[in-house]
Amino acid sequence: MGKANIVLTCGALAVILLGSICTVYVTKTQAKQESLTINNQSFTIDQLFAQTATRQFTDLNFTGIALDDAIRVADVTNPESHQYTIIGADGYQKTVTWDNLQHGLLTKHRQAVFTDLPKAFRVRDVVTIEVKSL
Amino acid sequence: MKHMRTIAGIIALGSLWGFAECIIGSWLRDANLPAGSIMTAVFGIGLMVFSKTLFPQRGVQLGMGLVAGTLRLLNPFGGCFICSAIAIMAEGALFEVFWMWVSSDLREVRPVAMQSCLGIISGYILYVGGYTITQILTPLFSSAGFDASNLIAFIPQIFASGLLPAIIGAFTVPVVIASRRVSVSIKDSLYYPVTATIAVASWCLVIANTIILLYL
Repeated sequence: MGKANIVLTCGALAVILLGSICTVYVTKTQAKQESLTINNQSFTIDQLFAQTATRQFTDLNFTGIALDDAIRVADVTNPESHQYTIIGADGYQKTVTWDNLQHGLLTKHRQAVFTDLPKAFRVRDVVTIEVKSL
Repeated sequence: MKHMRTIAGIIALGSLWGFAECIIGSWLRDANLPAGSIMTAVFGIGLMVFSKTLFPQRGVQLGMGLVAGTLRLLNPFGGCFICSAIAIMAEGALFEVFWMWVSSDLREVRPVAMQSCLGIISGYILYVGGYTITQILTPLFSSAGFDASNLIAFIPQIFASGLLPAIIGAFTVPVVIASRRVSVSIKDSLYYPVTATIAVASWCLVIANTIILLYL
C-alpha cells in the first residue's frame, strides 16, 4: 500500500469518525422542550399567541405573532438597545437586531421568519431568545 | 483553441450543475429528502470528477462552481438561494484545492477502495466547508451581520451533517471514474453545438421555471 493510499484511508476513516461522533453528540444534546424562553422567562407558545399581536407575511405564506411584541411581553426595557439571539432545538442560532425583529414573526410551529433577512436566518423549533446588550 | 474548448466545457458542465441544483434540488426538497447532501455528493462531486477526467487543467472546477452558483442566484426558490449560491461556488473552490494533488489521470487512482476514500473525503470537505462558508458570508450580505458565536455554537451540527454526503461520495467517485472506461467521444464539429445547447437549455429552463413560479 503506497503512502498516498495510507493517507487517503486514514483521511476517510477520520472523516467518518468525526461525522459519527458529532452525530451522536448532536442527537444527545438536542433540546426537547415545549416551552419557549425569552429573556429568561418561560412561555408556552399559546401564552405568547394570547398576549401578542398577529403578524402575517402574505407573500411568504406565513402567519404568526410579531417577534418585537413577544420581546415586549418578556419585559425587555429599551429593546432597541439590545441584540437578540434566537436559538432552535437543534442548536441552530442567529443573532438579529431590534430592527430585524420588527420585520419578523414567530409561527405556531415556533419557526422564526424575517422578511428583511435571507432564509438562512429562519430558525426552526425556537426554544430560546436571548437578550444581549449592544 | 484548446482554451476555448475548456471554457465551453466549463460553461456547459457548470450550467448542468446549476440546473440540477435549481430544478432537481427543488424536487428533492419538496419530497423531504436531504437535498443539500444529495446535490453536493451526487451532482456536485459527480460533475466535477467527470470534468476532471475531461479537462486536466486547473481552474475548471472553480469555474464550474461560479457558473452553477450564478445560475442558482437566478432561481430564488427552494431554501436559501443566496446560501446555496455561495455554497456551490465554495464547493467548486474547495474541490479545486483538495484535488490539486490527485493525479490528473484518474485511472491511476486505484484500487476502487481508494476512489471511495477520495469520495468520502471530498463529500465531507465540500459539504462541511460549503456549509461553514455560507454561515459566514450570508450574514455579511444582510443587515444583521455576522456573529461568530452563532457559527461556533453550530459547529457540531455542521460537522455531523457532512456524514451523509461523505457516504454518498464513496459511491459517486468510483462510479464516475468507471464510467470513463466507456469511451464516448463527440465529433469536433459537434463539440461546440452540443456544449452550447446544454448551457442554453439549462439556463432557459431555470429562468422559465423562475418566471412560472413567480407569475403563474
